[in-house]
Amino acid sequence: MDHTSKDNIIPRDDLPREEIKEKGEQVGPLDVPQEEAHESHATPADAMLARAPLPIRHTVPDTEVEASQPAQKNIREATGDAGAKPPLSIFKRRVRKFKSLKRGYWSFIILTFLYAISFALPLLINSKALILHYNGTTYFPAFGTFHSGQEFGQTGIKAEANYRTLHDQFKQSGGDNWVVMPLYPWDPYENDYNAVIQPPSEQHLFGTDDTGRDVFARMCYGFNVSISFALVLTLLTYVLGTVAGAAMGYYGGKIDLYFQRLIEIWETIPALNVIIIVSAILVPNFLILVSLLVLFGWTAMTAYMRGEVYREKAKDYVAAAISLGATDSQIIFKHILPNSLTPLIASFPFAIVGGITALVGLDFLGFGLAPPTSSWGQMVSVGLTNFSGDFSNWWLVLVPLSAMFLTLLLVTFIGEGIREAFDPKVFSRLR
Amino acid sequence: MFNYFLRRFLLIIPTFVITTFVVFVILQETPGGPFEQEMLKIQMKGAAGGDVGAGGGSKGGGVEIPEQAKQELMKYFDLDKPVPVRYILWLGKMARGDFGQSYTYSEPVLGVIISRFPVSIYFGLIGFLLSYIICVPLGIYKAIKHNSAFDLVSSTIVFIGYSIPGWALGAVLLVLFGGKYFPLGEFRSAGWEDLPFWDQVWDQIHHTILPVIAYMVGGFATLTVLMKNSLLENLGQDYVRTAFAKGLTERRVIFVHALRNSLIPIATGLGGFLGLIFAGSFLVEKTFNIDGLGLLGYRSIINRDYTVVMGTLVFGILVQLTGNIFRDILYAAIDPRIQFK
Repeated sequence: MDHTSKDNIIPRDDLPREEIKEKGEQVGPLDVPQEEAHESHATPADAMLARAPLPIRHTVPDTEVEASQPAQKNIREATGDAGAKPPLSIFKRRVRKFKSLKRGYWSFIILTFLYAISFALPLLINSKALILHYNGTTYFPAFGTFHSGQEFGQTGIKAEANYRTLHDQFKQSGGDNWVVMPLYPWDPYENDYNAVIQPPSEQHLFGTDDTGRDVFARMCYGFNVSISFALVLTLLTYVLGTVAGAAMGYYGGKIDLYFQRLIEIWETIPALNVIIIVSAILVPNFLILVSLLVLFGWTAMTAYMRGEVYREKAKDYVAAAISLGATDSQIIFKHILPNSLTPLIASFPFAIVGGITALVGLDFLGFGLAPPTSSWGQMVSVGLTNFSGDFSNWWLVLVPLSAMFLTLLLVTFIGEGIREAFDPKVFSRLR
Repeated sequence: MFNYFLRRFLLIIPTFVITTFVVFVILQETPGGPFEQEMLKIQMKGAAGGDVGAGGGSKGGGVEIPEQAKQELMKYFDLDKPVPVRYILWLGKMARGDFGQSYTYSEPVLGVIISRFPVSIYFGLIGFLLSYIICVPLGIYKAIKHNSAFDLVSSTIVFIGYSIPGWALGAVLLVLFGGKYFPLGEFRSAGWEDLPFWDQVWDQIHHTILPVIAYMVGGFATLTVLMKNSLLENLGQDYVRTAFAKGLTERRVIFVHALRNSLIPIATGLGGFLGLIFAGSFLVEKTFNIDGLGLLGYRSIINRDYTVVMGTLVFGILVQLTGNIFRDILYAAIDPRIQFK
């Protein structure tokens, strides 16, 4: 690896890929009754079944048996008494298995909930009043309209009114005027120069940074940015990588050969260097940064898809589809892709982890999203420059990093659960 | 087999040329390079020396540079030639070991890069050795105790370690322990040379611990899981059953029969050691302010010190390409079933 290799900037999800590659090389029977293997390792026959490599292709999805308890029950129901309800589709069974894995399932619920809420952050964490009632008129400053301080009797404030002081002011004076503030009345971009680098307090939950911005507000907004970034990045990488890899595998021959060489060369380009050089000039926004990372990240996906399509296209069902007159894209996307999807899904959460760490890393180096975007990496960078040993200004570093750790942990738990449900690895031990 | 690797080695040349060309073009075509910086410097000097005057028409408010000086400066930076010619010139010089002068350090680039080698090799080697010394036994133990409490707990820790980027863990450790217990980064203390020998050793170790943890944490998880899965897979194989059937002890079956085969994927990783040793990390080195190859590359990009950028790139690419081939050779040497064609 080059000197950027340890930086994990380009999401390459090493761990999942390793396993995918490993399994992809194994050619095993199509449906291994894994449930038996899972239940006992006592007899040689069972051990033999258990030894058989995991199938990752599901040519006959409906007869495949999962190692999960609920799935087993279901199959017994379905096969035991004739005329009972038909067996659940493989996908539904997997979802059911995923739900039974509590840690991953709850992580999924919590993360989805937090992410959904984070879109409503301007209504929850903001310095502008939600509703303001002044001299008989009602205003909604948080929804975009600008009001100078003078409009509400804050003499001398030509800029945006300070709704927090208005709130207290109206409360004290009583009367007909009132303000409804958001839950947490600080804006992530708001510089409070009277409170630079303040430790956590009642007013600023997690303190303020070196330009007086509220750390808690920035942390929350940073969550939304990070997840959105990772989601868009991973989706684009997967789409591009899958299509390119499938095309290479399907058409083979010269196209495949030249593309492979090209990818080899492309992967040698030290992506982090190039991204930094480009973003030093461009001052990238969300889209430019995503495109840059996709540009250097998509190749990682192609290897798996290429091999997978290569194998699949030799199978009878593809021949049948061809003889029925299916087009190339129909065969690739409707017939082959669904059979190769499992490892892609199972590695998705880990790619998200890669995406989040890539953004945080780039922001930390100062080449990520343009300031003043709330980003965890930029916050850490500010924290480390203001750190001089012995816990000084600890909140500046620990708050954004804790937020990142917790997020990554949730995503990893989800990933573990999905892998367990979609791509279970069953080991047997002989004793 | 020999032909295969010969071809691989020959393929390095086109790969190297294309890769460096791409980066070269990007560097040359982006504004803010050494030429523009030099221009700006002259402009600033002119502005500071002469009177700025009222409402200077040119942008930046500096003075106009005479066209001839501009031409000479462009010639100095070879900007009067088209990009491909410039690239070939650079390539020719590079092949003769001349990487040019660093603009920021005013030294030959090669010397600047080589002076960073000891730091990067030091951390690379220690991290590499430590992770193998810890991960292999840990993976074996986890495989033997599969699904035990220890396995589950350590798996969780390993998983958390995997999801946390090393530099971020380093930053947390730095804030938690920096100052009182550990130094705040740097490779050594200032004035290290003047210390007595054992103080030197202690100082070095003191400065090493946190960065090495940050360097190791990512590969740690991958290696442990790889070792565990590899051994588990082998323990389910036919030959292991045969070994048990002929009455061997469990100990012997695991350590003499299964372990040797399951070390194959681990051993191939040794091929990547070249890359590991010459790899500095932008992020870890910036976190701990360690002046290795990573920080050099980072600073050279920030300062637009393009000769150094290209120099670090050449080393990075060469190490990566030869490292890949070396890994495959090792792979073939260890596992006779592998056939490269």
